[in-house]
Amino acid sequence: MAEGEDNGEFYLRYYVGHKGKFGHEFLEFEFRPDGKLRYANNSNYKNDTMIRKEVFLTPAVLKECRRIVSDSEIMKEDDNNWPEPDRVGRQELEIVMGNEHISFTTSKIGSLMDVQTSKDPEGLRIFYYLVQDLKCFVFSLISLHFKIKPI
Amino acid sequence: MAHAEVETVDFEPDDDDLMDEDVGDGSPSRAGTIPRLKSAITGGGSSSTPKKTKGRGFRDEAAAEADRSARMSARFDSLDSEGGPGPERSIEGWIVLVTGVHEEAQEDDLQNAFGEFGEIKNLHLNLDRRTGFVKGYALIEFENFEEAQKTISEMDGTELLTQTITVDWAFSKGSFKRRNIRRRSPRGPRSRSPRRRF
Repeated sequence: MAEGEDNGEFYLRYYVGHKGKFGHEFLEFEFRPDGKLRYANNSNYKNDTMIRKEVFLTPAVLKECRRIVSDSEIMKEDDNNWPEPDRVGRQELEIVMGNEHISFTTSKIGSLMDVQTSKDPEGLRIFYYLVQDLKCFVFSLISLHFKIKPI
Repeated sequence: MAHAEVETVDFEPDDDDLMDEDVGDGSPSRAGTIPRLKSAITGGGSSSTPKKTKGRGFRDEAAAEADRSARMSARFDSLDSEGGPGPERSIEGWIVLVTGVHEEAQEDDLQNAFGEFGEIKNLHLNLDRRTGFVKGYALIEFENFEEAQKTISEMDGTELLTQTITVDWAFSKGSFKRRNIRRRSPRGPRSRSPRRRF
């Protein structure tokens, strides 16, 4: 078992957003070490809606989140050769797991084509799929608990 | 842990996998207060071991941090909860997490295995975005506490499609890190057991 996989500190935060004609629109969630899941989704398009939700998770859920991160091997990657955040948008993925702390940033990724043509397709692909798997997990948790459609 | 032998005679042995810096660093996670983002992570420098850091996110720390705290300092809604330990009710029922789910499991497999404990109001069996197979977990909603409770006690640790599954509550009334327990008694060492046995 890899170090820091099963015990020790765990924190995860993901942000995607941009500042445009509808203001600052973003989606952000974090898993905190005390078990709190926070979710924020701000879309200013047409009507001003800001969704901010938080709920405590059980250790079982945190452990599954940790497994998803571990299995992805994202901690071995580096954002050095990923596209820089730009006017179109910004993504941030910050994870503390065991003794490692990553804080990656990149631009928005529209499709797998963007991944293939980047300078680090292997690394970016891992990021791309991990983010989707995490979003999927968080959306399920938030929508089941609060009965809202997260997006 | 060096004191494993000592810990077993202590009064809260199951606390030992928790982090020491949790206590007394002022991280306020009681209901009603909004902890400053990242305070538990990078702030304060109270961490016992320096972490290996990696990524461009550390470069623009100040600006990004200001941005972040502005975003996250607002009030977050939560369902009314009395806090403390124990499972939390979701808005329409009780949510159970199943892990260790076989990658080729179908919704029907879960319906068959879990439907006997009560009507499944909702079932999320999410897929791995890369492979298209099941990611490995399922979230199941039951209407009543008793149904969910029975599901957990009877299904946890059982086998589903050749894999051992774990079944547990998804949501909790409060933090599972009990804040005050770990504070050492001011009167001295918390255990009079011998320091070393070998």
